[in-house]
Amino acid sequence: MNAVIDEHRTQTTPAAVPRPRPTLREKIAARDARTAETGRYYGIDRLALREADPLKYERFYSRLQAACMAAREVARYVAASPGGREMGEAVWALTTAEGDSLALSEGFVAHSAAFPVAVRFMCEHGYEENPGFADGDVYVSDDGPTCGAPHPGDTYTYVPIVHDGEVVGWAGAINHIMEVGAPQAGSWPMFAIDTYMDGFLVPPTRTGEKLQQYAWWNELWKRRTRAGTMNILDDKMRLAGCAMILRAVHEIIAEFGVEYYLQAAREVIEESRRMVMDNILNWMVPGTYEQASFRICKYKGLQKVWEHADRDNVIHVRLKVSIDEEGRFAADMEGSSRWGFHAFNAYPGGTSVAQMMALAGALGHNTKFTSGGNLAVTKHAPYGSIYNPDTTIAAHSNAWAQMMQISVMSFQTLCRSMFLRGYAEESFAVSGPWDSVQGDGVLADGTTYGYTNFELLGACAHGAYAYRDGEPAVWFIASQLCNMGNSEEFEYLIPPLFHLGRKLEPGACGHGKFRGGIGLTTVHWVKEPGQRLSASRAGSACAFFTENAAGMFGGYPSPGAATVVTQGTNLPELIASGETPRMLSEVVQFVQDGRLKARRQEVWKSDAPEHTLEENDLWAQVAGMGGGWGDPLERQPALVLADVESTQVPADFARTMYGVVVVEDGAGGWRIDEEATRAQRERMRENRRQHSTPTRAWWAMERLRILAKDVPEPIGDMFRSATSFAGYAQQYNDFWQLPADFQW
Amino acid sequence: MEKVSKELVRQLVDGTITRDDARMLLKMNPKDPERFWTWLEVLQERVPWPDRILLRLSDHLYVVRKDDGRRLVKCDCGQELGDYRANWKIECRMRVRTTERQFHEVYYPAALSPEPGYNEIREFFCPGCYAQLAVEVVPPGYPLIFEVLPDIDRLYREFLGRPLPDESPTWYRDTTAQRTAEWIAG
Repeated sequence: MNAVIDEHRTQTTPAAVPRPRPTLREKIAARDARTAETGRYYGIDRLALREADPLKYERFYSRLQAACMAAREVARYVAASPGGREMGEAVWALTTAEGDSLALSEGFVAHSAAFPVAVRFMCEHGYEENPGFADGDVYVSDDGPTCGAPHPGDTYTYVPIVHDGEVVGWAGAINHIMEVGAPQAGSWPMFAIDTYMDGFLVPPTRTGEKLQQYAWWNELWKRRTRAGTMNILDDKMRLAGCAMILRAVHEIIAEFGVEYYLQAAREVIEESRRMVMDNILNWMVPGTYEQASFRICKYKGLQKVWEHADRDNVIHVRLKVSIDEEGRFAADMEGSSRWGFHAFNAYPGGTSVAQMMALAGALGHNTKFTSGGNLAVTKHAPYGSIYNPDTTIAAHSNAWAQMMQISVMSFQTLCRSMFLRGYAEESFAVSGPWDSVQGDGVLADGTTYGYTNFELLGACAHGAYAYRDGEPAVWFIASQLCNMGNSEEFEYLIPPLFHLGRKLEPGACGHGKFRGGIGLTTVHWVKEPGQRLSASRAGSACAFFTENAAGMFGGYPSPGAATVVTQGTNLPELIASGETPRMLSEVVQFVQDGRLKARRQEVWKSDAPEHTLEENDLWAQVAGMGGGWGDPLERQPALVLADVESTQVPADFARTMYGVVVVEDGAGGWRIDEEATRAQRERMRENRRQHSTPTRAWWAMERLRILAKDVPEPIGDMFRSATSFAGYAQQYNDFWQLPADFQW
Repeated sequence: MEKVSKELVRQLVDGTITRDDARMLLKMNPKDPERFWTWLEVLQERVPWPDRILLRLSDHLYVVRKDDGRRLVKCDCGQELGDYRANWKIECRMRVRTTERQFHEVYYPAALSPEPGYNEIREFFCPGCYAQLAVEVVPPGYPLIFEVLPDIDRLYREFLGRPLPDESPTWYRDTTAQRTAEWIAG
């Protein structure tokens, strides 16, 4: 590695005329000022290099992008945990000196929003002077407030690219590691109450030089996380890719010249900004789009050591999007809850990543992926809110638990807008509640380990489109690459957890004229747990609330995920009989009808806390459901029949949901009873007439309930938190016409 | 830049478009700029009333311009739901599900059903045809979600390049609270 750097240093040709060498801090100030003054990246007016020689310009960019893609495709086979290698939960980037991405690999491209946060932090805190940035230095961070990480499981590596004494860029990478070393084992600690329980967390830190990590850095991974080996592999993966990018950039500078490199980098970013702005103009309908989501955080009874956190929280996620005067996608998050003593807070950098998680691809898929798209998106998150805490002690170990809704609802806004514009082919019910099982254990031989199984993260169902049903296990909002990983890979790494089932869960979706894609279920069987095995649930939306509050045009929003823990079972007897539960609903049904005997069974619609699992215990999950579209009574009976025939929707549920009566045909199949269907649908329509009231009447009753504060305590707390922001309080009180002195 | 045929847009609206054609539309780059006008033409031919459609809001709802200059939300059945600047949900009929049994009728399996007490499932029906126009699953006490207030003048002028004749700064203003104020005043 060292030879590579030295080789390129010696190949560097000094510029004929000395150029001013601004410090990094000066570059950031110049970038900020020129961009703010003009609205264009670095004030770039003309794409002069592209105009002068477009082929050279495109060849230049393709070299950069190819370097990032090559880094990804090679590095994850050099070394990586399954999340990196199997599922590709990573991205490599080439950024400007200021941290703005000008080329990215496939993968987690939204993290381009976080890189400039780290570079700014380092500059504002004197890193440029102490220790200074040298070519091939290695920096690592996973800390939200200082590096923009959404949560500490997202770990970043940065390698400065120094040409002739000047920082000209950074090779960057991020991947999602398996275990973060928090009091609660796993990748997303769900029960942290402040940042001191977030896990092994470092602000941007120089962890190596000359493309080699210091020896102590590996020891920290080993000592401070439960999956040291996996985390070191990931660390090597990120660095290997960065080394490839570093080498490529020196070669590109040698070929094109540093002046061209620096100017073209800015033009590439400005070009993509313009393209995204054009897309907003050409695809969307201006206006104000409102959405909401709710997230349970059940801590009551679990936080006896930390009394101040011993309460249930309901988090309000509010997103109000408009197209601002400059034509940008402007998100207002006011009314979202205040930060709290729970694990689900976010910091501004991470919030921007959440916004771009949907929009980088959705608004920028026809242009170069750069930070330019980020300039076409703005956010307003009031100080003190869950997206901009007025403290740096807020835990953010699973910001995604609620922040995923910023991604989902941002994308939903775009889909709704494109429908209004007539581009209905692009419009679908955005959803994708994900789930995972995480924990730690001690094998029979005393080996300790920590783990996370990502399988229900990377493969969600698609929500229903405006013109057809959604499909299962086909997309991942965080990446262009949907992948749930091989079952065997996870079984190899988590020895006591075997897949008893990995299937689609019938009926698990948001329903409508077109239904969402069916969710995935897995049933893990505990076999030979060794001395100890723990497991807990991590993920985004859980079934306590639906994923989004609003469905699409009469369809039902996707449900959240659920977990069923069944302990002390007679599973070996069922295995001997050849009949075992393969999905979450069967685990419940088998216990109810006595086929599966169990000491205890728990259904969790909130996050299942840590359980100690023993031989023949079962851990079942269902997640990744799609949302519905349109009035269910308008669903074609033939589609309902097909769902029943393929066991995607049970016949009994089809009758109450769709009013379609599907009966056995006596030959082992199913048919529609058309007369009964007509009668059932007429009954259901009549029921709508009989059991509905004018909104005005409902409003009057609901208003009285508000005045009486007749809601569960955590809901009242949520309203108190949300209305502590003046703008939202005004809107809330105006809608309900509440007295001026009313306070939740 | 090809124009998408009216027949294909009709199939898109009907939900009868083939996978291949839908994929072709998804892959179009750039999108056909004429789509909005083709879309309106197809929609206008489908509705049984003469009011000019300015914008489609959902499967059933449109913003239309009346002869007297008002801009209203209108269901394809002909039912009108008031000035588009106020959330049209206030003109609907509502059914509110609150119990576990009622939740289980629309969410399956039971483990995925939202928690009663913390949620109410609000279903909004057109008072004319009783089509289900929207669903909200929210805690009690939550205001109605105003899914979109379009800035129609800006759409036609800046985004489509064909300004409307009745432009006014007052067209882009949320008037929902004015309506609830009228309710409280009796």
